[in-house]
Amino acid sequence: MNPVISVRSLTKTYHVGEHQVHALRSISLDVYPGEFVSVIGPSGSGKSTLMHILGCLDQPTSGQYFLDGRDVSRLSDDEISLVRNKQIGFVFQGFNLLTRTSALENVELPLLYGTGNVSAAERRKRAMAALKSVGLESRWDHHTNQLSGGQQQRVAIARALLNNPSILLADEPTGNLDSKTSIEVMEIFQSLQRERGITIVLITHELDVAAYGSRIMTFKDGNILSDVANDSRRHASGELESLPVPAEGVL
Amino acid sequence: MVVPNALVIAWKALRRNRMQTALTMLGMTIGVATVLTMIALGSGAQKAIQDQVKAAGMNMLLVTAGNYQAQRERPPDDAIEMGRLHNPEVEMQPHLQLAMFHPEDDPFAVHDHPTSRQRLGDAEAGLGAAATLTLDDAEAVRKIKGVQYAVEGVHENVHVASGDTRWFTRVHGDGSALPEIRRSWKFTHGGFFSARQQRNKDQVVVLGSIVAEKLFGDKSPVGETVTLWKQPFKVVGVVTSANWMVTPEAGDDQFDAVYLPVTTMQSLLNLSKLNDITVTTESTGDVTRVAKTITTVLRSRHGIDSNHPDDFTVTSQASKALLKGGLRPDVAQAVTGNVGGLEKVTLDQLGKTLDKSSKTMTALLASIATVSLIVGGIGIMNIMMLSVTERTREIGIRRAVGAREKEVLMQFIYESVTLSVVGGLLGILIGTVAAISISHVVQWSTSISPLSILLSFGISAAVGIFFGYYPAREASRVAPLTSLRFE
Ligand SMILES: Nc1ncnc2c1ncn2[C@@H]1O[C@H](COP(=O)(O)OP(=O)(O)O)[C@@H](O)[C@H]1O
Ligand SMILES: [Mg+2]
Repeated sequence: MNPVISVRSLTKTYHVGEHQVHALRSISLDVYPGEFVSVIGPSGSGKSTLMHILGCLDQPTSGQYFLDGRDVSRLSDDEISLVRNKQIGFVFQGFNLLTRTSALENVELPLLYGTGNVSAAERRKRAMAALKSVGLESRWDHHTNQLSGGQQQRVAIARALLNNPSILLADEPTGNLDSKTSIEVMEIFQSLQRERGITIVLITHELDVAAYGSRIMTFKDGNILSDVANDSRRHASGELESLPVPAEGVL
Repeated sequence: MVVPNALVIAWKALRRNRMQTALTMLGMTIGVATVLTMIALGSGAQKAIQDQVKAAGMNMLLVTAGNYQAQRERPPDDAIEMGRLHNPEVEMQPHLQLAMFHPEDDPFAVHDHPTSRQRLGDAEAGLGAAATLTLDDAEAVRKIKGVQYAVEGVHENVHVASGDTRWFTRVHGDGSALPEIRRSWKFTHGGFFSARQQRNKDQVVVLGSIVAEKLFGDKSPVGETVTLWKQPFKVVGVVTSANWMVTPEAGDDQFDAVYLPVTTMQSLLNLSKLNDITVTTESTGDVTRVAKTITTVLRSRHGIDSNHPDDFTVTSQASKALLKGGLRPDVAQAVTGNVGGLEKVTLDQLGKTLDKSSKTMTALLASIATVSLIVGGIGIMNIMMLSVTERTREIGIRRAVGAREKEVLMQFIYESVTLSVVGGLLGILIGTVAAISISHVVQWSTSISPLSILLSFGISAAVGIFFGYYPAREASRVAPLTSLRFE
């Protein structure tokens, strides 16, 4: 099987005044379709930098990045935009939703861009379906500031999933959530991997969150310290069932 | 899909920032409303001055039959000269001034015969020696470029009778366009006779207010029948002065007079010639040129070679009108303000001064309009630039979900165009309402032309595109990442 993400000798150096910050120092890795990779490491170790490059939001200083076998450095801005629109879904720690905008309109957003015209009715239908898959269809007309952190993150996930991407990149998606809500988000991720075969790269600095992945990669100072299969994987669905208090939609 | 996505996106984005959107639009609205009101008031004022000047006859030429400067042979001694009694407009050599006669000694009375063979002819009507102008001449003058109206004139004296009441007065046979030339006329009852009545040689008459009062008192004469030359004429209107400087008086030429279609008069009196043709030009600055053209055209129509003098006279009314006070004094002052020595003012100078002052006015209005639109535009640009820095996060989000540079560019351009166009439309609305209410309050005519509305709309859109482009380009160049980093 060919890797969906393939990175060779990737470096990223920031220039801050006269200093050079080496955020990534010659990283090489492969991610195969359907994998759930947890990237863990202390703050400042270069995890976010890696995710931005993998998500085509930023360019590396040197090295190569093949996405589905295509050299990303050779793609035009329009092609890269299309990749972000169709192939990759993002989930951020800070949710990155449009403020003063309803949940539904936030989820619809990817359909306003990219190729192919989607009618307003069709946009709405697909956005509602995506909201339903994260259990938020009843809140479709709520503005984002009227939703809890967990609900906002689920809106962001619904948006990321709208165009059925093959890759989901998540940067500290549970960083702003309490532990129970975090488990619920992880449950969504695991079911996406299980049921849709989506490739997931999850960035976190917490070991117990990383443990939901099928493979754990450890970062330190812009280097990969270790990269191993996860033998003691946590399963969010089981954990939710055994939680003492029943979830009453308090999210 | 009919609506482009970028427009949908722009509209949603504007709705998110309602307050900012409203305030930016307000800037544009005020700009356009001001411009429209200014233009409406300005062109209203300009039109008022033009009307005043035209009412005073500054754009008027009088073509009279005969050429008294040419010292041609004297009219035969037995010629009955008349028709000039109350017409101070036309200068005449003393020997041609009207012979005086007692008002009751009406020379026409003896010609009040019903059959045309017995009626007065050109010569006996005093048109003999100088009878050179015809209806066809008037038609030819009317076709000259720059001529606004050309109205035929035959002038006589007549007894008008209604029942037992008789009144000796002036009778003018004129074209139906005469009220267009007499700008200071108003009709207290009915109106002037129509072009159709003129063609049909209908026996209809318009009474001057003095005649109407003498014959009918306060009662409306419209629909009544009066008798001229023992022929019945139906009264269709009563005319009086609309100019506060001119009060109708017994004996004046305009309102102690009756008006008939020139064709009716010619056929009843067996005439084929005209006394004069009154001409107005479209532009006051054009009077001299038109006068020259009229001379050329009439000379060639009359077959006059270069060795012979004109058999007609073209005189202008301008300087006379001005000095006589047909203009409101303030307007006259404004018009002649920068021409030294009123007595030396020539027609040309007057026309040119007027044209120049209206050009100055237009230029002034245009520059005010430009400045306010630029201010409105800079307002939009300012807000859009602010937007770009304020909304980098939004731009980043859009880029992350797949917006191309071009799509961000279009969103921002659509936003600024929507701001300027919607703001502009509101401005058009408010400006129109303002202009109309101001004109009601100060009784100052305003004119809002469809063209100026269309222009305001077009300029609003252009301002939106022009001033929106730079911020939009900045927005499209925001790197996707800069805003997404969570600190
Ligand atoms: N835009 C930037 N300019 C300068 N330095 C940066 C920038 N982005 C990240 N860095 C630096 O690169 C290093 C890696 O950062 P990051 O990838 O965000 O780490 P992590 O996500 O693991 O906390 C840090 O030392 C950080 O200060
Ligand atoms: Mg980070």
